[in-house]
Amino acid sequence: MWRYVRILITCARNSLVRDMSFRTNFVLETISSLSWVLMNLGFYVLIFRYAPEIGKGTGWGQYQFFMFLATGLLINSVVQMVFMINAEEFTEAVRTGALDFVLVRPIDTQFFISIRRFDWSALGNFLLGIALGVYALGKMGHLPTALQLILYALYVGCGIAIYYSLMIALAAATVWMGRNLTVLDFWFYITIFARYPMEIYSGPVGGVLRWAFTFVLPVLIVVNVPARMLLRPLLPQSTAEWMLPLFGLAATVACLGVSRWLFQKALENYRSASS
Amino acid sequence: MPLRWRLATWWTLLQISIEERLVYRADFALGTLMRFLPIVTQIFLWSAVYSAVSDSHDGQIVGYTYHNMVAYYLLTMVSRAFSSMPGLASGIARDIRDGSIKKYLVQPIDMLGFLLVYRIAHKLVYYAVAAGPLALVFFLCRGFFDGWPDSTTLAAYALSLVLAFLLGFFLEATIGMIGFWFLEVTSLLFVYMLVSFFFSGHMFPIDMLPGIWGTLVRAIPLHYLAYFPAAIFLGKVQGSALVWGLVIQAAWVVLFCILSRVSFWLGTRRYSGYGG
Amino acid sequence: MPVIEVDGLSKTYRVYQKPEGLLASLRGLVRREYRLVEAVRGIRLAVEAGEFVAFLGPNGAGKTTTLKLLSGIITPTAGTARVLGHIPWKREDAYRRRFALVMGQKNQLWWDLPAAESFRLHQHIYRIDPQQFRRTCSQLAEMLDVAHLLQQPVRELSLGERMKMELIAALLHSPEVLFLDEPTIGLDVVAQHRIQSFLRHYQASHGVTILLTSHYMKDVAALCKRVVIIAQGSIIYDGSLSGIIDRFSGQKIISLQMANGQAFDQLDRFGEVLSVEPPRAKLRIRRSDVTQTLARLLSAHAVVDVTVEDPPLEEVIAEVFSHPEEHWGRKVGEAPDLMEDRG
Repeated sequence: MWRYVRILITCARNSLVRDMSFRTNFVLETISSLSWVLMNLGFYVLIFRYAPEIGKGTGWGQYQFFMFLATGLLINSVVQMVFMINAEEFTEAVRTGALDFVLVRPIDTQFFISIRRFDWSALGNFLLGIALGVYALGKMGHLPTALQLILYALYVGCGIAIYYSLMIALAAATVWMGRNLTVLDFWFYITIFARYPMEIYSGPVGGVLRWAFTFVLPVLIVVNVPARMLLRPLLPQSTAEWMLPLFGLAATVACLGVSRWLFQKALENYRSASS
Repeated sequence: MPLRWRLATWWTLLQISIEERLVYRADFALGTLMRFLPIVTQIFLWSAVYSAVSDSHDGQIVGYTYHNMVAYYLLTMVSRAFSSMPGLASGIARDIRDGSIKKYLVQPIDMLGFLLVYRIAHKLVYYAVAAGPLALVFFLCRGFFDGWPDSTTLAAYALSLVLAFLLGFFLEATIGMIGFWFLEVTSLLFVYMLVSFFFSGHMFPIDMLPGIWGTLVRAIPLHYLAYFPAAIFLGKVQGSALVWGLVIQAAWVVLFCILSRVSFWLGTRRYSGYGG
Repeated sequence: MPVIEVDGLSKTYRVYQKPEGLLASLRGLVRREYRLVEAVRGIRLAVEAGEFVAFLGPNGAGKTTTLKLLSGIITPTAGTARVLGHIPWKREDAYRRRFALVMGQKNQLWWDLPAAESFRLHQHIYRIDPQQFRRTCSQLAEMLDVAHLLQQPVRELSLGERMKMELIAALLHSPEVLFLDEPTIGLDVVAQHRIQSFLRHYQASHGVTILLTSHYMKDVAALCKRVVIIAQGSIIYDGSLSGIIDRFSGQKIISLQMANGQAFDQLDRFGEVLSVEPPRAKLRIRRSDVTQTLARLLSAHAVVDVTVEDPPLEEVIAEVFSHPEEHWGRKVGEAPDLMEDRG
């Protein structure tokens, strides 16, 4: 266990050393991903000039929605910082055969390919997420209780785990398909559905989407559940509402298990590109 | 280059790009379908937003009903299919950086002409591939449109799409030429992509921008890439405003055509000055 | 007990055949055609502790695939293998801690970081005691003369220097078995020689078991007593380097030095004339004819000096590689006499 922590720290440190040796690039990347988020934020500010909330009676007013965005930002930035770059490198390693060297190391292969590189430039987004969350809570005049914060942290963790599982499963698919492009695209297109509160999926089609992205491919859990944990007006009031967080825990475990199984299966299929 | 050769080149390019796209069938099928997923979430988002818009506004946002808004999104997708030039600027910048731009200097090929032909071939393949899914999406969403516009509007729409394609091409080509002066243009391109994504009207109709922002965005050419053709189709621009809009759009095309040529000429002169 | 035991090891790949042309690609959307490639077919091999074995064979013969099977990177279609008592493709940590793999064409170090940083990561992965790690690292760096380059980003190193770093990375955890796949590929003669002498020295002092594949006969001649020739996925020879000549070449080279004034024009009666540089000449004759031909030669010409030699090794091996099917019948493992060659 300690060995794994030490490997994680060494990889994080090595990545930082590397990023710092390309400092200009690092700063530019941080700025560009920050400005992407800020521009999106600008769009939502624009929307709230014309409508008081997203979805009538849902309680997603401007600052509640900002809290939602902040949560999404936290989860996405961690995924970007730790896993996204590794998923890309993994698919590349499958293509070039560089995975050979990972397979011969006396360490869990899935662990090692998941944390080999850190993308520190996503740290800016993470901090922006915290700032936005604090700002939104302040504007709402809402001080969360300790229990709320603990649950929030727990479900942010679950969200990260679900996204991570999805990414690992997609990366495993590359071993079969032998190409990576659409797989990361696929990830992007799926997670688009997690960008907004689940209430927006109404009507017959929306209902099906909401059901499918909750129970089949549980990406709607990722941001919705932790964001609800922190927002008093949206705290689960009925027992039925309690089912969602409980399901969230089960879904996290299931996702991790299924993706691990897929990854192992994929490794058996690895053919090692000849040099 | 005689026309016959030009056509032959064009045909070969076309064939190669089609083959390139067919090799990975899983990618191919998924990729085409996926492109339409973001619009699904947008439709739901706007549906939720409009549900909360107070009745005092007649359920409208800056003159757009919910149906208008969805129709607008579908139409900007068409605009972007014409005006987006994936890999053009970065390709030029890369050619400059790794020196392969030289091939245009020693061979009797006009680089911009060559790239334009290549781009047209690429676009045609894309339209051929996307036509089916696009038609399906428009058919499913036909309820969001109030029937077909009149033939004059349609003609103006078609013209603005062609101009949007040309503007997108020359604009991105000009940006790629900056690579002659600054070697690292990747982040610059990202900034361009970002600004263009928001201010071309791809993300929202630029009518929503308040005060000075709206004026500013209308003063730069980006909104001709996505917003303008869509607005024509929806009948938001009519009469003399329409004519002037098309004239200004054409003027931007001419300006960037000249700019890209001049910067290529200046750039190559500077380049060979280095003896690179 | 042998360190490496392999029996009936086979690996078959299914390869997608990319169709040519536009129409064919369209058809490929519907139905894909595959071809089976037998990369390794029924290999049998036993290697004792401390042996230095070379795998020779033409490109695509299955050398690298065999190494990948033995390091557990890929799973075989059939057959068994045990290395240090482990089944490689189970990928147990206990096994992976005990061997190392170096591939001349692939890079395992972080490209943008100094090699020392990659080494430190290895220290944690292989749980190397810090003190021992420092000692081994500086020792190896000194032996390979790269101590001054440890803090330089790998991308700034020359190919030879990078290869030395790769070797250090592989040896940090003192593996008992070492798989080397083309370790000197693309290197200049000096760097090749440097790495050869390092490997020889390291193997002698640490007694590791090494399997090496290489294109360069010089590597093999300098390092390995035992040579395994693989062609078309099968072992066609397993024995000493010099044994290859006895095995595959039915010919001898006779070098003559004639007395003055001798005619050279009729030498082709005795065998294939390789060169004539009066007063010397070289002939190639069948091995079985050596005694008879020499007798005839000596009676027909006034010869001052004569030597009988084997044809050059490179030539013999090149011949074996280009016509492996002729040597098909002589599979090793079925031919007990070959085992004696190892002596």
